[in-house]
Amino acid sequence: MSAKFASVAAMLLALTASTALAQTKDTLTIDLPNDAATLDPHLQWNTDSYSIYRNIFDNLLTRDVKGEIVPQIAKSWKYLDDKMIEFQIRDDVTFQDGTKLTAEDVAFSINRIIDPKLKSPQLSQFDQIAKAEAVSPNVVKMTTKSPYPALLAQLVKLSIVPKAYVERVGDQEFNLKPLGSGPYKMANWQKGVQTELEAYGSYWRAKPPFQKVVFRTVPDVSTRIADLKTGKADLVRDVPPDQAESIKNDSNSQVLSVPTERIGYLFINAQGGATKDIRVRQAIAYAIDREALVEALLEGYGKPVEVLGAEPVFGYTDKVKGYEYNLDKAKELVKAAGAEGATVEFLTSPAYSRATVEAIQQMVNEAGLKVEISSSDQATFLKRRQGDPANAGGLAFGAWSCACQDVDGVIFPLFRTGSIWAKYSNPKFDEAVDKARVILDKNERLKLYEQAYQVIKDDVPGLGLYQAYALYGANKKLKWQPTANEAMFVMDMSWQQ
Amino acid sequence: MLRYAVERLIQAIIAIFGVLTIVFVVMHLSGDPTLLLVPQDASAEMIAQLRSQLGFDRPIWVQYLEYLGGLSHFDFGISVVQRVPAFDIVFSRLPYTAMLAAGALVVAIGMGIPAGIVTATRRGGWLERLLTAIVVTGQSVPTFLSGIVLIFVFGVTLRWLPTSGSGDFASLIMPSLALGAISMSTFARMTRISIIDELGKDYVRAGRARGLSLGSVVFRHVLRNAAIPVITIAALEIGNLLAGAVIVETVFAWPGIGQLAIQSIQSRDFLVVQVIVLLISFVYVLTSVIADFVYALVDPRIRLVR
Repeated sequence: MSAKFASVAAMLLALTASTALAQTKDTLTIDLPNDAATLDPHLQWNTDSYSIYRNIFDNLLTRDVKGEIVPQIAKSWKYLDDKMIEFQIRDDVTFQDGTKLTAEDVAFSINRIIDPKLKSPQLSQFDQIAKAEAVSPNVVKMTTKSPYPALLAQLVKLSIVPKAYVERVGDQEFNLKPLGSGPYKMANWQKGVQTELEAYGSYWRAKPPFQKVVFRTVPDVSTRIADLKTGKADLVRDVPPDQAESIKNDSNSQVLSVPTERIGYLFINAQGGATKDIRVRQAIAYAIDREALVEALLEGYGKPVEVLGAEPVFGYTDKVKGYEYNLDKAKELVKAAGAEGATVEFLTSPAYSRATVEAIQQMVNEAGLKVEISSSDQATFLKRRQGDPANAGGLAFGAWSCACQDVDGVIFPLFRTGSIWAKYSNPKFDEAVDKARVILDKNERLKLYEQAYQVIKDDVPGLGLYQAYALYGANKKLKWQPTANEAMFVMDMSWQQ
Repeated sequence: MLRYAVERLIQAIIAIFGVLTIVFVVMHLSGDPTLLLVPQDASAEMIAQLRSQLGFDRPIWVQYLEYLGGLSHFDFGISVVQRVPAFDIVFSRLPYTAMLAAGALVVAIGMGIPAGIVTATRRGGWLERLLTAIVVTGQSVPTFLSGIVLIFVFGVTLRWLPTSGSGDFASLIMPSLALGAISMSTFARMTRISIIDELGKDYVRAGRARGLSLGSVVFRHVLRNAAIPVITIAALEIGNLLAGAVIVETVFAWPGIGQLAIQSIQSRDFLVVQVIVLLISFVYVLTSVIADFVYALVDPRIRLVR
């Protein structure tokens, strides 16, 4: 008995001793809702995939804490003319196999992603680039099809891949065993289970903060939070606002949040059904209490917006004001349009918060319309929403982010005549956004976008509701400032004992 | 016997082929993965371009024939989402699902059959009432709830078991309990009914009249005779456990086929879904064939008939 007791005591002692000795944290564990679809950074573009692969690769450019575009692999850049831009490439960067990163690799990365043969879903973000060539070991010249002001914002998302390695192993093998110049190299990818990364000792910027990083796949949010509370995970992504309180109540955990470029918005069909009448659309705008939505559904983790845009997005304006909440005006407009009791179909899918959709339904119903929710799976929802205006429903809720922080990626695809999302057409709007996407002068662009926002406000083919916040649950010892573009750079994190 | 086996095999192939065709058509009619793959700001031309690159713009029967052509030499295609052979994706998840199904089956049989025996032979007692309550609870509490309650009690509050994961034996316990609970109830009810049925028969009365105790009659004679329907259920339950683990696998972050299936359906990753459907149909057919042979082993009467 006493021998047994002694051995147990010794074991406990050894355990406490080992934790006391651990001065720095060796392994950081992060719970994501999904596994990476691909780790080839030129293929899939979704938050869980890039949360992982952005730690393996460096990007041509990046954004600082304030959201400004700053150098990363490119040291500097200058426009040769309005379609040609030259990048100076750093010469102190090596890939994780020790080979040097050169202008050749940068040119290869660009030409690879725009090559139709790769079938990259990201192609649309880079399709304005005609070609790139390495003119010297440290200089890359890039040509765009037309003057393209959002180029730098898009290049923030361009990961640099090693030409020699990719050509040697082929695309399929590269996806399974990615190799980059980033702070972490791939150690082990158990598909659907976890991805283990290991610090790259010779990383050019600094020593990575943790020796190992493990990204686990945990689809259920309650489980992610349980992992956080029991210390199985140090950081968990995608926490809904109504779960934030339970994380705050845990003495070892904290909620990290940041306003993002993502805008919660309401689509209003201007080309079909009862909402074809502008008075009905305006009535809907008056009927929605944005403050109440943010308070009640987002528990304050969001900010009501006046237009379909927010500060982190270039082109955002605070000069155009939204509609105030005024139910009487809304009822009057519905009556004037002769649309009392008219049925409006509200398209949605399980990807969108049911509570938000129902709250909006309630608010619009009070103006005298009859909103009917039709929910389908995401693929079917997109097919209808992007299809024929007559079948696209009257309303739909969405959360928009182009991950480019430029209005050209927001209101252009949403409302430009002929765009798949637009159920609306106004030449005045088209003219402004068309012009703004081919000139480089910032002030000129801002002015044009202000005009465009004013047209949208008057015509109401859609309505900005709120700026969404990204919510993370983290161990209290983790120091990290999340960013507006929802990136998860482990390099920016540290551990406080 | 051989002819019987061949007939069963042909039936099975037709069934699997039918399932495959239905799934193919339904999945393709309800949209393709292109819209889910592109970034939000992609233009109509870009989407059309990607769709044609991925081959989804061709008539459905062309895609179907091409798929069958691949199948005929065991080529299951490459996932458009993960860009990895679909078969490899599913195959890598198989051990996890097999492990979880085995764990759940141990729970279901290990608790279900004894509970069935007790409730059949001790009718009216407090033990029967207690066990019936457990069986009904196991059957009626949905797994997404029981899973989270288990995590909260044993993971977060007591800290006895890991809250999620798949690496070791400890992390297998809670998912097995959650998944096994429903099958456990099925086994318990089936065993109970089957035994009660047998208990009314002459040979039991004869045995009892010869002075054998109830226990000895049950264990030496009744159980063997009551086993046939239970074996049938076991065969079906194995298929159900493979296919029905979707929610349990999601709650416990268990990387099995169920979780993969739901993700692949959501992302319209057709080829992966097809492999999963093929696999599950195959397991159903296989287990029911095995069950047929086990009947013959257990019950000589079946051997005589053939």
